[in-house]
Amino acid sequence: MTVIEVEHLVKRFGGFTAVEDISFGVPAGQVAAVLGPNGAGKTTTIEILEGFLAPSGGTVRVLGADPRRGDRAWRARIGLVLQSTSLDMQLTVVEAVSLYAGLFPRPMTAADVIEMIGLGPDAVTRIGALSGGQRRRVDLALGIIGRPEILFLDEPTTGLDPEARRELWAVIQSLVADGTTVLLTTHYIEEAQHLADRVIVLADGRVVADATPGQLRARGGTPVIRYRVPADVPGGGLPPRLAHYVDFARGELMLPSADLTADLGELVGWARRSGADLTGLEVAPPSLEDAYLSLTAEPADSAKAHSHD
Amino acid sequence: MTDASAGAGRLPGTGHLLSAQVRYQLLLLIRSPRAVIISLVVPLLLLMLSSSRHSRLDRDTEDALVAGLGSFGLIVTAYITNAITLVTSRQDGVLRRWRATPLPTWCFFAGKIVATALTGLVSVAIAVAGGVALYGVRLTAVAAASLLITFGLGVLAWAAIGVAVTPLVPTAQSAGPVLMITYLPVVIFSGGLGPLSAEPGWLATLSHYLPAQPVIDAATRALQHTGGGLVLVSGRELTVLAAWAVVGVAASVRFFRWDPVRPRHAS
Repeated sequence: MTVIEVEHLVKRFGGFTAVEDISFGVPAGQVAAVLGPNGAGKTTTIEILEGFLAPSGGTVRVLGADPRRGDRAWRARIGLVLQSTSLDMQLTVVEAVSLYAGLFPRPMTAADVIEMIGLGPDAVTRIGALSGGQRRRVDLALGIIGRPEILFLDEPTTGLDPEARRELWAVIQSLVADGTTVLLTTHYIEEAQHLADRVIVLADGRVVADATPGQLRARGGTPVIRYRVPADVPGGGLPPRLAHYVDFARGELMLPSADLTADLGELVGWARRSGADLTGLEVAPPSLEDAYLSLTAEPADSAKAHSHD
Repeated sequence: MTDASAGAGRLPGTGHLLSAQVRYQLLLLIRSPRAVIISLVVPLLLLMLSSSRHSRLDRDTEDALVAGLGSFGLIVTAYITNAITLVTSRQDGVLRRWRATPLPTWCFFAGKIVATALTGLVSVAIAVAGGVALYGVRLTAVAAASLLITFGLGVLAWAAIGVAVTPLVPTAQSAGPVLMITYLPVVIFSGGLGPLSAEPGWLATLSHYLPAQPVIDAATRALQHTGGGLVLVSGRELTVLAAWAVVGVAASVRFFRWDPVRPRHAS
């Protein structure tokens, strides 16, 4: 069952087109990441899905309804975390969470949610006295207290330090285990890779890729063979084609490999003949970052930035 | 699509939602030092200052002073505090979040206005109690009932105007100046900070149709009242306050904004 449907979505602000033409569907239970640089149209898209903005063209449906006309029952099935923290600083954590629990037909208990976000010791602390990462967790608590079927997360970890980010990811992952459909926007590739089953890459208001993180990575380029050439083997000892890829300053072979079998065969053959030690040989998968950069780069820049695509 | 999961559990009733909203808004007010000082401390302070400044006033002037300062506290709470807290909530993204919850919109505003009215009436009660203590203002049961009606109407009118004015205030930082400029002249010319010795005729006429004068006049008459019989607001005062309330509600419905003002970024 598709719970989020976006068809040929267009959004203009005056003369500026934020969303050019976006289509995708998200089945129930999927965690989809909308990834893209600033200005790609991520937030505009998620705000249309949340019902804050009206589309200029195309259609969107969330749980079968137009988000602009969602009634109370519909809103009770949606949870959201806005791009910036949106909390009453004067309330304590437990007051805020309890207040929101009272809005929904079958909420989690305040105690359970506070436990989940790891703020048990700060339950009676005023939100204004919490750190940025802790406030973001309260944001998440208010988003999930009603047991939403769909959770929208708009850049949930932007501005957090790496530790706070990982903690928030852990909470999101525990939700996902419950079967909640999640649509998150992010400009962190790592976040998409860590959380999402699927990555929708936007650039300039269009979908430039829509795939699993693995597929996307595979599309982004070639794996890399890395090997620290032993000091007693002069670079010239390698077969000439491989020696071409040795970084002499670091004494390391870095070979982007379009044909791993052939390239590894050549390296292993050379090691067998010369008796060189292959300890430290490493094959790195193509990086999602390369894939992302090659998809979102300006056409003029892509040629020089990504020599291998 | 199937709605099987949506049927699991009923949405909470409005009585429950409303009482939770009133409690929430009261909590926000009580925990804002600015709101507490401006609504509860300032009117009493002004009353004490006036009492030390004038050694002897006639009975009617003292009654008018107490009525004026009570109205001042009420208007500050219903207009300034109400508008500033709304603008702050809007700026912090809290309004936007409320809008996306299953809470009915009217319930949010009802909670806000009831909490504002309660705080405003407490502010009035403090001023009147101060008047009784410092000036020996006599308060009959009839006068108290009249005050309740007058101030009750006044707080609703001013709260509606306070909500309506928020779209004109871009940020919480700019709220103070914008609100002061709009309300101070109205309150002063209406005699809210003490009776005016001389004011031009046109200003006096204008003041009758602004929402402060009717509250102050009706409250003054209630306090000056000594005999029996009901002393209620006059028809004109009632009409002026009701008209302002209607204008405030209509403007709010039409122009209220839930989203923070932000530089429209490209995303």
